[in-house]
Amino acid sequence: MRGTGLTGALLGAPADDAAVDEYEAVEGLSRGDIECQRAHEAIAAKKTASDYQHIVWAYGVLWSLFAIYGVMLLRRGQRLRADVDSLRARIDKA
Amino acid sequence: MARTIPILLLVIAAVVFPLSVKGIFLDVGIERQLGTVQKIFYFHVPLAWIMMLFGVVCGIAAVIQLRRESRAAEAVAIAAGEMVILTGLGVLITGPIWGHASWGKAWTWDARQVSTGLLWLVFVAYVLVRRYGAAGSERLAAALAIFGAVDVPIIYYAVKIWKTTHPSNNVVGSLPPEMWAALWPALGALLATSIALVMVRARQERAEMDLDDAWVQAEDLGSAGAKGEAT
Repeated sequence: MRGTGLTGALLGAPADDAAVDEYEAVEGLSRGDIECQRAHEAIAAKKTASDYQHIVWAYGVLWSLFAIYGVMLLRRGQRLRADVDSLRARIDKA
Repeated sequence: MARTIPILLLVIAAVVFPLSVKGIFLDVGIERQLGTVQKIFYFHVPLAWIMMLFGVVCGIAAVIQLRRESRAAEAVAIAAGEMVILTGLGVLITGPIWGHASWGKAWTWDARQVSTGLLWLVFVAYVLVRRYGAAGSERLAAALAIFGAVDVPIIYYAVKIWKTTHPSNNVVGSLPPEMWAALWPALGALLATSIALVMVRARQERAEMDLDDAWVQAEDLGSAGAKGEAT
């Protein structure tokens, strides 16, 4: 396993990999900083796994669109029926 | 029969929709990296497929309309064109909601986003020309529909041709079985609903055309009768 930067520091690079060119040791991160970082990551992960706000919006918009189109078709059908009735009335009158 | 099929399809959609919701929210787990927002996938992708399907249907119907002057094909083209606008709007709203959550940006001017936006605009132009165009504009509108249908393969290949942030076409093929099990009912519910609406709309359009003819004939008969009375 090889890591770079912060990830490398958190994962703990094996001794064999220390000499590999891409590995860069991270300096200046105290235990407190790492714990703070992990706490923030845990909050973000929890939010990612429990926040349904986007889904509610996406599904709401999607089915609203279909419902609006359905209502439009219904109204168009009613208009057509009214048109047929007025045509019938005109023919009867003639 | 023409009346029964849309009702049957809507009943199928009403039965399948709760199953798809159950599959998406209860049976499939939360994706590790994207979290809950990944569940938009189960409706975003089928919507995009349906949009492309009706884009092609509209283009083919427009070709038939132009070559054979078929009214039935014209009605199907109009209904399919409207469905492209509806589903396209769904894709263009649900996609950026997902993008905002996973990429941090709703719109990235990615090739697939742009080509999808272009398809939507072409079909909006098609419907506007059909609705507000002068006499004879139905041929121009049909040409627009064919132009729009040509954009469909561009949307499909956009992620292969250009470097994009949008996930590749292979994502769907590599889904685990439980995700497929949730995707199929969602696709079924949306497809059944959209086919039913297109059938209803096409029948309405055909009825409107016949009604217009009937009005013209009634006017002609009326004016001929008035002339006869005058002489």
